[in-house]
Amino acid sequence: METEEKEIDELLENAQEAGDNIPSESGKVEDGVEKHKFFQKYKIKDIVFLAIITACTLVTGAIMPLLVNVPLFGIIQLGLGIQFSLFPVIGMMKVKKPGALLFQSIFISIFLVFMFPPMAMLILCAVIAEAVALLIFRGYKNDWACVLAGTLYMPLTIPFLFLYYRAFYTVTGSEKAAVSMFLGSGNVGLIIGISIAAVAVSFIGSIIGMVIARELRKAGKFKQ
Amino acid sequence: MRFFSFKQNLYPIIALLSSIGILVYGLLMAKTYLCSVFLLFALVFLCFFGCFKAVFHVLPPMILFGGMFALIAYFAYGRDGSAALSMANRMGSVFVAVVPGMSVEAVRMTRNLSQLRMPRGLTLGMLIAMSFPPVLSGEIRRVREAMKTRGAGSVLNPKIFYRAFLIPLVSRLVDISDTLSLSVETRGFTLSKAKYTVYKREVICVSDLIYIFGLVAMMVVLAVVL
Repeated sequence: METEEKEIDELLENAQEAGDNIPSESGKVEDGVEKHKFFQKYKIKDIVFLAIITACTLVTGAIMPLLVNVPLFGIIQLGLGIQFSLFPVIGMMKVKKPGALLFQSIFISIFLVFMFPPMAMLILCAVIAEAVALLIFRGYKNDWACVLAGTLYMPLTIPFLFLYYRAFYTVTGSEKAAVSMFLGSGNVGLIIGISIAAVAVSFIGSIIGMVIARELRKAGKFKQ
Repeated sequence: MRFFSFKQNLYPIIALLSSIGILVYGLLMAKTYLCSVFLLFALVFLCFFGCFKAVFHVLPPMILFGGMFALIAYFAYGRDGSAALSMANRMGSVFVAVVPGMSVEAVRMTRNLSQLRMPRGLTLGMLIAMSFPPVLSGEIRRVREAMKTRGAGSVLNPKIFYRAFLIPLVSRLVDISDTLSLSVETRGFTLSKAKYTVYKREVICVSDLIYIFGLVAMMVVLAVVL
């Protein structure tokens, strides 16, 4: 009986809190906090959309466990650049709140831990990509901010994975050829070339994402 | 569920940690034949802890892709057997590491994270992201059927892919997201710091401890033998 009473009390408290946060007609929340501030509060519908778009990224990026073992420098970024920029950009353009990319990377990391743990560093990449985009554009109001964040997102994993391969494969791998291929053979030209290619692939994905999002916005699908 | 009981489902967080452990250990030991022994033992061991179905699902792709990549490595590095073994072990580690994760249902993982007081936004997002792929595959099938009905042409044509496949699919996802968020709100989910009750709690049982200690013991014994 006590547990039931406790649950009823909790429900009532929650209902009261929800009632307290109803925005007034002036566009301001009743406790005086402005609605259009830089760090806006996330709604359930934002989280749900970001989770769904993350599922799309995940399904299309399911080739990752195969790619991680191909001894070619930057193969993951080249193979997944399109998927990991197209869908996140759509997510950011729909939600348009700082942290949209971070949320997506957190949701996806729980799966990547099972597939390839170092890719969970996407969270860190998302923080950096968002910071750069938000510093330049001061928010996601401009569509190009989403494109910039989407373009930087996947290529930023290159330095992190470089460190990972150095730590794992140089310690354990006897097959020197494979190690050098993972690390770009120490060939600066190759490393720079592949990195530029990864950025280009991500940029194309981001542009496609932006075009799709704009089309859907025009069709009235992205109403907040 | 009491502590002194043997359940067929692993405690979600333990399953997650064991996945990371298997993968890291597999990558570290990849060049030795003992890694293959470990992976085989790990597969058999996982079958005793409710992962039989997941093992059954993972085995065919593991053999196929592991064999394929090992063969490529064998010829790519001048008929080097050790390179092929390393590659097969690495692929095997990835697939075996996926098994504990596959055997954990999305709702159990969410429940576990809620118990540990993770933010509601994260647990809700993870629940949706984990359980959405089957819905997504259904939607993809429907969009492709619609394409066929309209005689839209091949999906391999970029223009047709964009106009007749990608746009309708994303549009449909937006609709699903709106409906789902309404449904979630109706069920009382909130992102504010509201109190909530986890009705069916996840409990660590003896079987979970046997599992994790057994796995660690296996790793240590093989490392010592090496």
